[in-house]
Amino acid sequence: MKNRDITLHINGEAYKLNVAVNRTLLDVLRDELGMTETKYGCGTGECGACTVLVEDKAVNSCLTLAATMDGKRITTAAGRADFGRLDHIQQAFVDEAAIQCGYCTPGMVMKTASLLAKNPDPSEAEIRHALEGNICRCTGYEKIVKAVKKAAQTMPGRAAAQAQPCKEVVQ
Amino acid sequence: MSEQTIVGTNAPRVDVRDKATGQAQYAADIQLPGMLYGKVVRCWEHAHARVKRLDLSAAAASPGVVRVIGPKDVTAKRYNSSVLDLMVSESMHDMLGDIDDQPIFTEHVKFQGDAICGIIARSEEAAERAAAKIVVEYEPLPVYLTAEASRAPGAVQFTPEKPGNLAFQLPEAMFPNHALGGGDVEGAMRDADVVVEDAFYVPKQKQCQMEPHAYVAKVDSGGRLTCWTSSQMPKLVQRKLAKLFDLPMNLMKIVPTVIGGGFGTRLGMISEPQACAMALAVPGHPVKLQTLREEDWVISPSRHPGKYWMRIGFKRDGTPVACDARFENYKGGYYLDASGTAFTAGAWLGGMYRFPALRYRGESYFTNQGLTGAYRGYGNPQTNFVLEQLIDRGCAELGADPVEWRKKWHKGVGDDGWCPGVTYPSCALDECLDRGAAAIGWTEKRRKYAKQEGTIRRGVGVAVMNHTSGAMPMLLEHTACTVKLNEDATAEVLFACSDMGQGSHTALKQIAAETLGFPFEHVQLSGGTSDVAGFDIGAHASRTIYVGGAAVKKACEEAKRQLFERASLQLGVPADQLDIRNKRIFVKADPARGIEAEAITRAGVYHFVDPMTGEPGGVPGQIQGYVSFFAPHNSPPFGASFAEVEVDTETGEVRVIELVNAHDIGRAINPAAVEGQLEGGIQQGLGFVLSEEIDYDAKGRVQNNSFTDYKMFGPEDMPKITTILVEDADPIGPFGAKSVGESGLVSPVGAVANAIFHAIGIQFTEAPITPEKVLKGILEKGVRDYGTLRRS
Repeated sequence: MKNRDITLHINGEAYKLNVAVNRTLLDVLRDELGMTETKYGCGTGECGACTVLVEDKAVNSCLTLAATMDGKRITTAAGRADFGRLDHIQQAFVDEAAIQCGYCTPGMVMKTASLLAKNPDPSEAEIRHALEGNICRCTGYEKIVKAVKKAAQTMPGRAAAQAQPCKEVVQ
Repeated sequence: MSEQTIVGTNAPRVDVRDKATGQAQYAADIQLPGMLYGKVVRCWEHAHARVKRLDLSAAAASPGVVRVIGPKDVTAKRYNSSVLDLMVSESMHDMLGDIDDQPIFTEHVKFQGDAICGIIARSEEAAERAAAKIVVEYEPLPVYLTAEASRAPGAVQFTPEKPGNLAFQLPEAMFPNHALGGGDVEGAMRDADVVVEDAFYVPKQKQCQMEPHAYVAKVDSGGRLTCWTSSQMPKLVQRKLAKLFDLPMNLMKIVPTVIGGGFGTRLGMISEPQACAMALAVPGHPVKLQTLREEDWVISPSRHPGKYWMRIGFKRDGTPVACDARFENYKGGYYLDASGTAFTAGAWLGGMYRFPALRYRGESYFTNQGLTGAYRGYGNPQTNFVLEQLIDRGCAELGADPVEWRKKWHKGVGDDGWCPGVTYPSCALDECLDRGAAAIGWTEKRRKYAKQEGTIRRGVGVAVMNHTSGAMPMLLEHTACTVKLNEDATAEVLFACSDMGQGSHTALKQIAAETLGFPFEHVQLSGGTSDVAGFDIGAHASRTIYVGGAAVKKACEEAKRQLFERASLQLGVPADQLDIRNKRIFVKADPARGIEAEAITRAGVYHFVDPMTGEPGGVPGQIQGYVSFFAPHNSPPFGASFAEVEVDTETGEVRVIELVNAHDIGRAINPAAVEGQLEGGIQQGLGFVLSEEIDYDAKGRVQNNSFTDYKMFGPEDMPKITTILVEDADPIGPFGAKSVGESGLVSPVGAVANAIFHAIGIQFTEAPITPEKVLKGILEKGVRDYGTLRRS
């Protein structure tokens, strides 16, 4: 199997990696970097548990080959929290009791971030449509939809969402 | 009640910050030094076959492979992956006839996905590559997908212990004529004015918990086997694995992990035996076993499908005279839970209405479908689909209002619940019905939709349910709990039961803080590994708050008693005249007189004798409360659901517009968490009645083992939801609480089916009620106005 040298900018830090070209971004995050906040739910892009942001776009990391992500800015759920301080989306999920088993939550948070980046004031129908690719089996989506609404209301200024310069970490 | 400041509030969930950031550690997230990766090789091409030849040699020589193990490399003992057999007395166990029929690796494949052998390798990729090199030849056997097929004369026998492939029927010794109930059913039916009867089919639903099953197992140098698992029943799994591998329980350690959804699928074991067998083959090395989603789909037990026949007799004035029912369910290839659902489907039936005569027969037959076991509701949605539709058919023929009929004839306080002789201590179902009816606009919409025109028809329907809070007296309901007070008057509660995500640990912490008189933030609750925590039967039968909460409350009361005893010596006032608030103990009649709890707890731990006087400084000893608690009752919860649906008579599509779930939960310890249970239950109930079913081809292979092909309600499919918490404190439950975990999904099933009946005048006997079935029904019977259905 061929390998490729790539740099991934994950949560504000640059990682230089040598990856097999068939490795998914999910496997690289979880198995090679130990970033287990991104979850395996189906491996076929149907459940959204593995959603991460590439730039500001939500992608299923289980369907994304790591080798194609060279130079890309990637954000995971852990990257949105600052040493235990939750960002406004995570806080909204906590406040609205939108988390039960929590397995879908990191993906839900990332999908919400991408929605709000495009549409800071979504209607309920737009929220439900945006979440169609993210399955939750615990909540009936009721409190998740409320959490997304609250996150939209509590979103800090756009400047805070800008990319931070990376400091380099060599793997 | 008004004095409580922590119970009844939406206290912050203890687990959700870690879950929001992804730091919560599920089994698949565990990484240990020297870890190896396991892979179970499964039979995918056959659902019934004998293994003729198994050659492991090429796989064993594959790069990165450490060991390959087959049936001859593991214990020949068999197991039963359910835990029901441990929850009953030995005599009842013998009467029920539970058996151990599951091998770790099989030579007789009984369902698609049965385990053939295991590979242990240095990476998942190496294990996958080696799996492709396993050589196995099968002799295909006839595939039986229904009870009719598997009980036919000459059929291959699944186990010599169960002739005729009849895995279970209600035993004669406990249920005369193999039937639950009593009274003269045949005589009562002859005297009935209206008899409604039909044969139904209830579907095989999948839990679809979001976390696929994963395990880590390791044998340490002292010979102790440790298994990290997300089982709902860690203590019983400890005993099961110890027995299977001939280990004393102290050498079989269970580390419960965060659970990514259960809904019954983790009630017992799934692949713990295979994970542990692999660890035993490579002592000193942890082995991780990650189940793929498509694998999880076929190996974890699903809801029992099958045929459900029922007839109900009424007098012309609506009086129910008798109910006769038979549930013939289809097991998978192994026995697990064969006795459970076959019994409980009838138990929920018996607990619902005041039928003077009742006969219920329950049977389970082996088939070559995937395994069936516990699923949230445990027989209750099946019964709800059948019973509640027939009640509405009776109401239509009698011209009775379905809400009024239910208010008149449901069981209540003093009546027998699901277990004869155990009577209902509380029941607020009338209030559920009244408030639910008001919320959906019942009276107006029932009238309005009774006569409609056009191709789009609307209807509203109602259904009710009863469930249980723990399974006493049928099953063991035992929880041990320890609470210890630290020297700074903070508390640590040790309680073995897992939080599956429903928020039980938060609610238990609320109960502990409220009982102790400590702030919520000064109480810690830990699940604990099997070597540290005391016994707990596990998270089943919606018991965690009702039984576990009562245990936590009693342990905290014991700690508080010791605290007050010591304060009484200091204050010179009898202990029964003391109270505590926010960690300050005071005299009830003179609140200004008091002592800080910390002064007592500190003196108990840091106990010194005064070097000048030789006098002791307070009472020595750390305060600990301990209880080994057995639940005295099962205080069943009740619920009423109301649905409004829109049926497109040209496409057969059913859109659920609104769903009201009004539930009598006794008391909500944490209302937001209770709402979450009822809301999430609706999503699964709607799936049962409208969209979810595992399909098999003629060879017994699953056709829809993915989230694309298996249809769950997504965020855009969900209706408007209204949740009504009816709080009528139960006299037995802790702070009046009854259960809520399972009940939310049950009555939406009947309510939606009855709303469809109201909309188009047709009942559907097969769930899920898909557009195809609706269209077929309309073509065969024609759309009829509900208002024209009255016969008597």
